[in-house]
Amino acid sequence: MQDVQTKPNGPVAASFVAAGIASATVGIFVVLNEISTEVNGFLKFDASFGIGKGVGPLSGKVTLGVIAFVISWVVLHFALRGKEVNFNRWLGIALVFVFVGFALTFPPVFEFIVGIFVPEA
Amino acid sequence: MQFTDREFWAVIHGLVLGTLFLLAFGGGLAGLWSLKEKYLTAEGLAERSPRLWVGTSVMAVVAWLTVITGTFIVYPWYRAAPPEGTDLTNQAGLLDFPRYWLLASDNTAEWHTFAMEWKEHVAWLAPFLATAVAFAVLYYGTQLVRRGDVRRGVLVFFTLAFVAAGIAGLMGAFITKAAPVA
Repeated sequence: MQDVQTKPNGPVAASFVAAGIASATVGIFVVLNEISTEVNGFLKFDASFGIGKGVGPLSGKVTLGVIAFVISWVVLHFALRGKEVNFNRWLGIALVFVFVGFALTFPPVFEFIVGIFVPEA
Repeated sequence: MQFTDREFWAVIHGLVLGTLFLLAFGGGLAGLWSLKEKYLTAEGLAERSPRLWVGTSVMAVVAWLTVITGTFIVYPWYRAAPPEGTDLTNQAGLLDFPRYWLLASDNTAEWHTFAMEWKEHVAWLAPFLATAVAFAVLYYGTQLVRRGDVRRGVLVFFTLAFVAAGIAGLMGAFITKAAPVA
């Protein structure tokens, strides 16, 4: 619904999609952490960068999620500022990302995926 | 009557911030749901807007504070490893190491492998979603009443933020009951 009497909705669409990308990022790194010992080691930001003592790979997963949130929000904000977009379409894209985030952080789902890549897990 | 450091932060993380989050969600949801032109006069809208702004902003800030305190203060106590050589199958010797205490018995292991694994990750979706909601409310202000498309999206994201935090809170309460960090 476009309403010329209100501000353009592009910046809000940008924030919603950024939140979705951040959610999916956390979920993707949950899976990658279980599949790869290299990724598991990389995600230990507590040891590598001093982000949280004793947090382990969770420090990397959430830090990367936050970085994805900030970067995608800034990029999308500048891309969509001043624009009136089809909000329902952008909301749908955002919800797909959010769904990926919810699904990949649910243990039965990520364990199933890990089982495909690492059968002995 | 006193709290240990661990009890203090467990209370801040789970009880104080959790309660604030619930209050902010309740107020915010009611405000967003009824934010329709047919329900509101101009005066009613002006009176309601600051409350909506505060409710959604508090929810976003509290969501961030909850996951930050949980991940970087409480969680390391939960996953602390016992000294080398400790029998990892004997729960009696693992009382100070909640993660290992849970994993030491088949009867409690799923509190870690399912509940904690779910909680520690899904919780982080809440601040992302709540921040987007707060931004939308701040950006539009009173104009949100005329943007039905955005308002519906805000309601969906607001509810999903609550679902993510609710799952984490519920799992956290169960885990704390089984194996407190304090």
